Amino acid sequence: MIQVKDIMSKQVISVIRSTTLKQLLRAFDKFHIFPLVPVVEGDNHLIGIVSFCNLIDAFSSNHPDVLKLVPFLDEEEIDIFKIDITDDIGNLVLVEDVMEREFISIPEDVSIEEAYKLMRLHLKEEFPVIDKSGKLVGMVGIFDCLQAVFRQKGIIK
Amino acid sequence: MNTILGLGFILTAGLFSAKLIKRIKFPAVTAYLLLGILIGPSLFKLVPEGILNSSGLISNIVLGIIAFEIGQNFSRYHLRKIGRPIIWISILEACGAWALVTLAFLLILRQPFYVSLLFGAIASATAPAATVMVIREYRARGNFTDTLLGVVAIDDAWCLIIFSISLAIAQAVYTHMMATSFLIKVFFNSLLSIFGAFILGGVLAIPLSLLYRFIRTQTELLIFTLGFIFLNIGLAIWMHLSVLLSSMFLGAILINSHRYSFKFFDALKCIDSPLFLLFFVLAGANLEMRILPKLGIIGLTYLIFRVIGKMMGASLGAKISNAPESIRRYLGLGLIPQAGVALGVALIAKSDFPIVGEMIFTTIIATTVIYELIGPLCTKYALQKAGEIQAMDVSR
Repeated sequence: MIQVKDIMSKQVISVIRSTTLKQLLRAFDKFHIFPLVPVVEGDNHLIGIVSFCNLIDAFSSNHPDVLKLVPFLDEEEIDIFKIDITDDIGNLVLVEDVMEREFISIPEDVSIEEAYKLMRLHLKEEFPVIDKSGKLVGMVGIFDCLQAVFRQKGIIK
Repeated sequence: MNTILGLGFILTAGLFSAKLIKRIKFPAVTAYLLLGILIGPSLFKLVPEGILNSSGLISNIVLGIIAFEIGQNFSRYHLRKIGRPIIWISILEACGAWALVTLAFLLILRQPFYVSLLFGAIASATAPAATVMVIREYRARGNFTDTLLGVVAIDDAWCLIIFSISLAIAQAVYTHMMATSFLIKVFFNSLLSIFGAFILGGVLAIPLSLLYRFIRTQTELLIFTLGFIFLNIGLAIWMHLSVLLSSMFLGAILINSHRYSFKFFDALKCIDSPLFLLFFVLAGANLEMRILPKLGIIGLTYLIFRVIGKMMGASLGAKISNAPESIRRYLGLGLIPQAGVALGVALIAKSDFPIVGEMIFTTIIATTVIYELIGPLCTKYALQKAGEIQAMDVSR
């Protein structure tokens, strides 16, 4: 059985709670797409994730955690092209203001079939991978699973 | 108009009326309700009979979904995070409105005990949509805003508990009024309804957790979650238990027992909006215009004593939890709107008590419209007084 730890990327760029929005954007400005960024604290313990969707929260009036629990709430319509914000928001907004605290992570010893099933079930393209103590040890995506299958079938070596 | 044409009309008219009302800074809920009143049998008669007759079915489904979603409030993480002030303020403002409205109806209006109790229980609900809209509009931030949001988020959970207890007592009092040993029956019927609902929600959470491993796609997850909510509602109705409590307990137990339980709640977000729209429009359409003129003093008593109860309760809760002075003085003003949960539980009262139910329901719809209009102004005033709206925003 091929496990997630056999196919995951071990070189991962992570951030901490106090990383500013400006630092976060700078870290990925050479990437062609904003990836799923793990948030860690202390001894690489995974505490959250930031995706490009969460970056939109930097424009909102905030409190996303509490508002998730409220029924009948109108969606906040944010026109990111017209919203009036100042450039100091880059230093004022921190990763902990926008990160998701409820997220899915995969233990490193699960099978790639299980990881692929979870990605399809939750409509996600990648997940952070953790060890038994909850420490971040890598990232795994749909492409890693596909590559493993192609390799098994002998399509790639 | 046939039923399907009527449904299409309600959904499209509801969507665009919500867009229209947002221009004058009111929540979509208000638009749905006003639309329902306009197209209902009392005015333009555009709602087909078939849809009106299924109001009970739709409200049971919607209330089950709402109660299930409200169960998320009881996650260990959330309860730990919100802290003492929010817990104390939310419990006491809900109980304050419950007690004061019940007493006012009983002692001032001389209404029967079970009617007073039902009005009191409905009064404990708050509508977060209007409050959140004001907070977003003025981009309010600070301790007062955080506390207000925390209170309006968890308040409906207390309302569901208070209403379920009150309903069980009201039903028992109503049906056993003539019996000599009715106090004991009241006590046991109430206990049975509440603990039975708790056990049902808890028991159903077990197969839900076990069968989850067979779910492969997001579509299956949605069907699976809805299926269990319907099973829960149906079983609660069949066993004469509280639909609200069993759904809320199912949600609460699930959120604390399953690692990825938040995904069940996320899946529901795809379909709950059109159901909510339908629910509110039908609530408006069920308004009995002919009863309105007779409700003057009842409506006024409800309007006034609910606000006083909320303000006194919030102030007491803030005092007990040593919250800052601004929260003590003004937080109650942010809790005035009433809509979704109040209407839902009023619909239950209407179907369970046919004689007084129409009067209760019409009073709640009429007062909901008034509260939704004055509530945002009071919330804005409270935020200004607490100093959490920027000066430039206030002048807008």
